[in-house]
Parts: sequence; structure tokens; C-alpha cells
Amino acid sequence: MIALQILIDGFAIGSLYGVGAVGFTLMFGVCGVLNLAHGGIMLIAGLVGWWAAVNHGAGPYGGAAVGILAGLVASYVTYFVVVRPLQRSRAIPKSEEEIFILTGTLLWGIMIQVGMDYLFSDNPVTLQPMLPGVMNIFGVRTPRNEVLIAVVCWVVIGLLYLLVNRTRIGKQLLAASINPRGLTLLGFELSHIYLVVWSIYGLLAGLAGVLLASFFGVSSANAGALTASAFTIVILGGLGSVPGSLVAAYVIGYAETITAYLIAPTLRPIPALLILVLALYVRPQGLLGRR
Amino acid sequence: MRNSEPALEVRGLTKRFGGLVAVKDVSFQVRPGEILGLIGPNGSGKSTVIKLIMGIERPNAGAVTLAGVDVAGWPTHRIARQGVGIVFQHSRPLHRQTVLENIKLALLPDSLFRLVAEPWVDGQARAIAERVGLGEVLDRRPPTLPFADLRRLEMAKVLARDPSVLLVDEPFAGLTPSETAMFSKLIDDLRRDGRAVLLVDHNVKSVAALVDRVLAMYLGERIAEGSAESVMRDPTVRRVYLGGAIETHPRKELDARTAEPFLDVRGLDVRYGKAQALQQVSIHVNEGEFVSVVGLNGAGKTTLFNAISGLVPYEGEIRWDGKSLRGRSPAAIARSGLVHCPETRELFGDLSVRENLDLGGQHLSAASRTAQLAWLFDLFPIMAERERQPARTLSGGEQQMLAIARALMMQPKLLILDEPTLGLAPVILEQLSKALGRLRDTTPITVLLGEQNVTFALPHADRVYVLEHARIVWEGDPGRFAAEMGTGYL
Amino acid sequence: MNDIRSFPDATRIHRRPGLLRRKGLWIAALVVGVGAAGPTWMSAYYLGVFTVAFYFGVFAMSWDLLFGFAGEVNFGPTFLIGLGAYGAGLMNNAGLPIPLCLIGGAATAVVGGLLLALPALRLRGPYFGLVTLVAVLLLLDAIVIFAGFTGGEIGMMVPSVLSVSATVNYWYALGFLVVSAAILFTLSRSSLGLILQATGQDRTEAAALGFNVTKFKVAAFCISALFSGLAGAMLTFYQGTASVDQMVDLSIAVQIIIAVVFGGRRTILGGVLGAIFLVLFDELLRPIGQLNTFVVSAVALLVILLFPDGVLGYALRWTDKR
Repeated sequence: MIALQILIDGFAIGSLYGVGAVGFTLMFGVCGVLNLAHGGIMLIAGLVGWWAAVNHGAGPYGGAAVGILAGLVASYVTYFVVVRPLQRSRAIPKSEEEIFILTGTLLWGIMIQVGMDYLFSDNPVTLQPMLPGVMNIFGVRTPRNEVLIAVVCWVVIGLLYLLVNRTRIGKQLLAASINPRGLTLLGFELSHIYLVVWSIYGLLAGLAGVLLASFFGVSSANAGALTASAFTIVILGGLGSVPGSLVAAYVIGYAETITAYLIAPTLRPIPALLILVLALYVRPQGLLGRR
Repeated sequence: MRNSEPALEVRGLTKRFGGLVAVKDVSFQVRPGEILGLIGPNGSGKSTVIKLIMGIERPNAGAVTLAGVDVAGWPTHRIARQGVGIVFQHSRPLHRQTVLENIKLALLPDSLFRLVAEPWVDGQARAIAERVGLGEVLDRRPPTLPFADLRRLEMAKVLARDPSVLLVDEPFAGLTPSETAMFSKLIDDLRRDGRAVLLVDHNVKSVAALVDRVLAMYLGERIAEGSAESVMRDPTVRRVYLGGAIETHPRKELDARTAEPFLDVRGLDVRYGKAQALQQVSIHVNEGEFVSVVGLNGAGKTTLFNAISGLVPYEGEIRWDGKSLRGRSPAAIARSGLVHCPETRELFGDLSVRENLDLGGQHLSAASRTAQLAWLFDLFPIMAERERQPARTLSGGEQQMLAIARALMMQPKLLILDEPTLGLAPVILEQLSKALGRLRDTTPITVLLGEQNVTFALPHADRVYVLEHARIVWEGDPGRFAAEMGTGYL
Repeated sequence: MNDIRSFPDATRIHRRPGLLRRKGLWIAALVVGVGAAGPTWMSAYYLGVFTVAFYFGVFAMSWDLLFGFAGEVNFGPTFLIGLGAYGAGLMNNAGLPIPLCLIGGAATAVVGGLLLALPALRLRGPYFGLVTLVAVLLLLDAIVIFAGFTGGEIGMMVPSVLSVSATVNYWYALGFLVVSAAILFTLSRSSLGLILQATGQDRTEAAALGFNVTKFKVAAFCISALFSGLAGAMLTFYQGTASVDQMVDLSIAVQIIIAVVFGGRRTILGGVLGAIFLVLFDELLRPIGQLNTFVVSAVALLVILLFPDGVLGYALRWTDKR
């Protein structure tokens, strides 16, 4: 019974981690940006969603929608206020641009965390389940909400797959991650492509934040840990590789679930970091790393 | 003092990058006090050979011996300490340090615990600086120095290393004749000191006076070896460089010229830091013309095209289709019909041939796209065969065809083609040439072609420019080119 | 690329070293003199603030050695600091006297630095930075898990302190800062510093000139670890606790980077300037409570956007632009 429970819970968690990690890795693969304010954006989505649902009676679905929108807005602010000015700055040498962007997004992430703490305090909040009640999966009583989360995650991942592989804009994104200069020479403005990526990223991070609020709850104290977990997954899977991130998300998700159930819930984050250390010593470019 | 044992010996050196064989079974020797010239066009593998000797790349097979010691596979710094010095093609100074400090660095031992350099280091560094002509600029930093001084600094650093074997990559690129003479003398002095020198260049003529022997390479293999004169006369070498006899095709009469040229470049100046890549270059292309810009490596063709397509900053004026190009983004310029197919091709390696082509045609309607694809598959039949293959699995020639086809998918009014023949076998060149001919004869397209391979550049051209050392030195029609410039070109 | 824009401080005309060193030395001596006289005109509270600032200054200088010279961006300097602090703290709790603990703390940091450097230096670009970040997270988690030994998030008290007098502590910190600055600055100007600059700016060329790049980068890591760890240990014996908030947290890591950027990268001494400014600014904002981190971070963001060359960077360019 425990095994089945672990299987189900781990799957739900892995899916949740997957959505956040995929956005993070897409941002790196296409734009070359490692957004260390990632956790902050998820946090904003979760908190704003909760606030809309509870304080404004929007209900769980309305709250989720508002939360995702908040994530999108936060993503745009991150791009236009932090990342783009750094990319365009003439005072920063090209070779150090990445460092400055990492530092800048880290600072921004801290600002978000402190700001949200000020506005909402660091008490964890949970979004009401969108689908209340439990259901029976092979004898395991599982919250319906958990199943919904897993389904939503997979639908979104599926949509993303279709977007990237079957639409025109998706092909452009793929091409941009392979060779941005080539794309410019074919008449595509990279600035438009980047805007599309930040939009997709905002929606994904927003969704991940809202779902997290629904599943575990969010608190401003966790913002940093969320970012850390995202880039742990992404490094393990290989920076820039979307399938790699998905695989790694499940590896981490299951490792955490197994630890929580079989060893101790407080030691939950440990296996991820241990796996990461092992990976970095053995195969630093990640499971499916490309760039 | 002649020594019977070679200072540097290379045997069966081979290097593969994925499917591409960059260097295939190359062997040669260099004796102390001898200068061996390693020549070949771009893509021939000569720079890779130097990197293999220096340990910057590891060979897949073969041996590199320095005075009897096998160093293949050693890390670069060990090979350097064994007595090999290298002057890279592009200067690599420490930008935040002074000239004096840069030279002193080269005199330091590989030790963690030396905080203070030994007293003789300062004096030695100054002496070396005087010898190469940097005595006046010891306290200046590299970004403020002119191009020739940066090259002098590279020479100074290598002199400081006191190597028994010296590898020099394209020493004269970007230098004026007087600077070239000075550098030649420096290298000659090194030979006289009893060092062995391996000199890499793409042009036999420029190094003929300096070298003792020449080894010619093409597509990673040795094609000729001997004295400079014998190699210049070697039929294989001539075919590779000139491609055989220069032909021109009688061209169809062009319609009456419109008042303004389609593409008008006036007084173009481009600088990379201190190096003047283009100096007061003016060319024009009329609608429907096929214009070739001929010039060797480093002459400035790529810079010219990059300036036109908006990829590098410039001074001067460029007008296209009646409007100035200044201030427009490269993507906007491409969308306006001025399409650049660069030397590096910039294909999307992981995407299939079809996906690459589709991206080129994204601005067309679905119907136009299908029609254009069909036409391109007819022009380049091999593209239809390889439609679903990832672009990076294609051969060099096929990749070039894909790059051109993709550019043509944009239905350009003017197509800029930069060095399409780079690294391609002669058989492929014929196919490409035929395709270009068909393009020219059946469509109203305007073409601006940049090439170092004269035989490829001439047959379809209406007019020819010759670019040498950042300047336009000749303009005229292909027939006159053969008469006036042909023989002296190699 | 020899583009001047890539190297804004290249237009500096290098004056003859003798003259510059003399003038600089006098300025430095003056500043240290003023600093040493601090207890005569500062309250005990501000002595404490500056004491922390001085230790922070050593954190910053160590970071600049690694970044400005070896060219490696360490996003987790607090990994090294934390190892030094907690290593020394644990030893002290086991009964060892302060001097031995200081040595032990520094040694722990160096060993930790080596264990981090060896795999990390094989990585390029963003991977290296992320790995250093991961190291900090690992340390944070380890401290929390083994809370029995380390006091977890609350912190670990140590029985010994350097001194109970604010003045004495101040002088210890100032002395430590001056000695560290002297050593690190001298290193940066030495032959070793020159080689480190080469390995940081262009590793292929450095190798072609016969230098074992890995050896030098590992050495830079170890030197940075030594000073960071030692400073962390001393800070522990000043405060009487080793704590996560003050020594290991990521926000501290970011502040160290900001201190160096603000003071001027690649100057070593700029880090001290930036550190003092940051600590004072933080202090100034104390009345607004929680949000002071927000304001400091916002200002830091503005600094990296608008003045990435930092105070000393701009000052050096301005004085030499004739």
C-alpha cells in the first residue's frame, strides 16, 4: 500500500516540479538566461491567487486564474526591469553579462521574497482544492485535487510539446535555442522571440506556483528553496534540455517522496542535493545536457 | 649549426570532429634553423595541425615528436615548457595589463610560490620590447595600441619563451607592406638563431621569400611538398586555388540601367578595435546584376557583407532599394529582401532539412511556400532526398546547398553569398556553379558573391571587384580580369 | 576582441610604479590611522557595526581575488565562510582554544574549497556559478539536519570570545582587515597575481605561455577559502555564535558580490569600500525594519545596472583621463 501511495504522490509531485523546471530550462535554452527569481515568481502567483480566492471570493478556479496572470505579469516585470536593461547595458562587458544577470535576478528574487513577506507575512497559505474530496486509486485514498494537478500538468506539458514541435512559433523557438544568429539572418527579430519565451515562462511559472499553493501551500520563506529546487532539477536533467528536465523532475520528485515516507519527512530535500552532487562529480552536463 | 635530428616531427597526424575529418594522415619534419611553410585555403586543416602540435586539440591518431620526445596528448602548458612557442592568428594580449607586464608574464616560471620576479626579468622584457619595436609603448595597454603593435606584442611574448620550435599562424594578415617586411625579418632572425619555424598561411606568394620549403594542404590532406616555386607550379595546387583555367561566359545584355543602383555602398570604413578591416570601400550592384567580390582570406569580404546586412557597425553610407540601411536591425534588412548567406552558413543543425527550409519561408503564404520548395528541390535535387535528415548530418557541400536554398526561400531581391566554396571538393563546386548559373538565367535575382576561388567567382559574373587588404584595388568585367589580374593572383 | 568598450579601464595611463605606490601608500596609511583612532570618537554601538563591516571587507576581498584575478565567479562564498565559522565553532565547543580553532576553521574552509574546486573547475560558464550556489545550499541543509551539533537555524554558541571590550574587538577586526588587505593586495600585484590574471582572462594563451591553468585556479580558490574561512571564524568569536543568517545565507553571498561590484571589481581594496558602505547603509535602514533588505537589494540592483564599474573603477578612470 505504501508503495502505491509513494507511486501516486511521487507522480503528482514530479509533474508539478516538471512544469516549473520546464519553464526554467526553456528560458535558459532559448534566451540564455538563468532566472534566479524563479521561486519569487511562483510565490507571487501562489500568494496572489490565494488572496484573490479568499479575500475577494474568487473561489479556487478564479483564484488560480488570477494567480497565473500574476505570474505572467511578474515575469514581464522581471524581463523589462531587470534582465533586459542588463542585457542592453553598454557598461557591462559581454563576457560578464551572464554573471550580472545571475546576480541581478538573485537580487530581484530577494526583493520579491522580502516584499511578499511584508505584504503577506511568511505564514504558509494554501489554495482551496479545486476538486474537493478523495477518490480511490487501486485502494489508495487520494485527494481528487492531487489527481487534477497531475492531469493539468500533463495537459500543459503536452500543449507545450505541440507548441514547440508543431507550430510556426515553436519552430522559431527551437531554432533560436540552436542558432540565434541564423534566425536573425532569416528575418526574425530576436526581441520578439524573447518576448514570447518570457510569456510562456510566466504562464508556466504562474501555473506551477498556483498548483503548488493548491497542493502544499506557499510561503515567502520558501521562495529561495523553490528556485534551488528548480535549478537542481534543471542541472540534473541538463541545462537547456526540456525532456531532461522532465525526467529529472520525476527523479527528484520520487526521491523526495520516498525519503519523506520511508525515512523522515524533515529530510525531504536531502536526496535531491545528494543526487546533484553525485551528478556533478560524475556527469556535470546532466543526463541529457546539450548546451 | 645544422643538427641532423628534426626539431619537430609529425607522423600520421589525424583529427576528426564528429563526422568531419579535419586532418588526415599528415606527416612532415622541421629541422633547426629551417622554416617550413604550411599553406592551404581556408578549411584545409592547417590551423588544426598547429592546434594539434600545441596540444590545444588532441589527435585521434599520429605522433608529434619534439627533438625525439613524443608529446602527443600532453597538456598545452607542458608542450610549451618543452620548447614550443605559438603566435596565434588573432592577437591575445592581456587587455588590462601593460605591454611590459604582458612580456614579463612570458618570462615567468610556472611556479605558485614566486611572488617577485627575478631581477633580470624586467631588463630582459625591456630588451625584447626594443627588439620588436615596442620600446615607446611599454606603459600602454593593448586596447589603445594599433594593430601592428599588437602583433609585435605577440612576437615579443614568443621571443620571451625562447622556444626551439615556433608555430606562427598567418603572421602577415592585416599588415602593411612595410610592417610585413619587418615581421619577415624578425622571423628570419629566429631561423638564424637555430630555431625551427612552422609558418602557416593561405597564400604561397606572401611567404615564398621567407620559407625554405612548402607543404600544401587541402581538405585535411597533404597535396604537395617542396620548394615554394615547385609548389606554386604544382597542377593540383593550382587547381585548388584557381580551379583551373579561368572561364567567362558571355553574358546576356542587361536592360538599360535604372538611375540608382540597387545596392550602393559608399566610403565604407569598418574597424575592429584598432584593425582597419575596410577602408573607404565603395561598390554598387545594379538590379539584375551578378557581381563578384574577389579577394583572399582576410581581405575584408566577410566584413563588407556583415556591414551591409547590419551585423557590424560602420562609417560611411549604404543605400538599398533607394533607402539608407543605417539604423535598421539585421532582421529588418533581411525582411526587406536583402538576404545574407554567410560563410559560416548558420544552419540549424538539429533541425531537419525541411524544417530549415520552412523557417526560411515563414514569411510567405502557404501556397507560395509550397511552390518555392518545389522549385528549390528542382534546383538542388539532393535536398529532396535528404528532406527529413537533420542538417548537421549532411556533408559540407550539401550543407552549403541547404544554406543557399534556405536563403532563396525568402525570395530575396538581392542575395549575398559569402564564400560558398569554402572547404568543398571540386566536384561539388561544379554542381554549385551550375545551380548558380540556372539561378541567374531563369530568375531576376540580383547576386553579390564573395569568393577567394576565382574560377568559381568569374563565370556568371557581370562585374568583378577585387578586395585586397581592406581596399578595393580593381573593378571591371570578367574578361578583363583574366587578362589583367589572373596570372599574378596566386 | 580588442574593443575598448569591453575593457573600460584600459585607457588608464600607467604611471611609474614608484610614484603611485608612494601616494597610494600615504592615503592608505591615513585611512588606517583614522580607523585606528575610531574608539576615540565612535560609540560602542558603531564600533560594533564597523567591526562587522571589517570582517565583511575581508569576505569581499577574498571574493575579488577569485573573481577579479582567477576569473571565476563564486556564487557561494558563504560556503567557505560557513565552513570556517562552523568548523572553528565546533572545535571550540570541543574544548580547543581560540588560536587553534582559527587555524582549524581556516583549514576546514580550504579543504572544503578544494573539494568544491576540483569538480567545479572542470565546468564552464553558468555551470560553475550554479555549482558554487549548490555548495551553499548543501551546507545550509547539512547545518539544519545536524542541528544537534550545529544549533540548526538558531545558530551555534561558542564558549570563547575574542574579547568582551568593543574597542579591543574593533582593533582585532581592523588589524585583521589591514593585514589581510596588505597580503591580498600584494598578491594581486605580484607575479602570482599577474599569472592569475592571465589564467582568468585567456586560459588558452596562459597555457601556451607554459602555465598550468588548473593549478593556479585551484590555488586562487584555496587562498580565497583561507581568508574567507579565517574571517568567518573570527566573526564567530566576535559574536559568540556561528549563525546561518550572518554567515551562510544566500543573501549574504549576494551582498558580498554587490560589495565588490560597488567598490570596483578587480581592485581588491574596492571590496573593503563596498563592504563598509553596505553595512553602514543596512544600519541606516534599520528603523524601517523588515524592508531594509528590500531597499538594500533595490539599491544594489540599481548599482549593477547603472554603475557596474564601481566607485574605485570610476575613480581610477576619472583621475587618469587627461
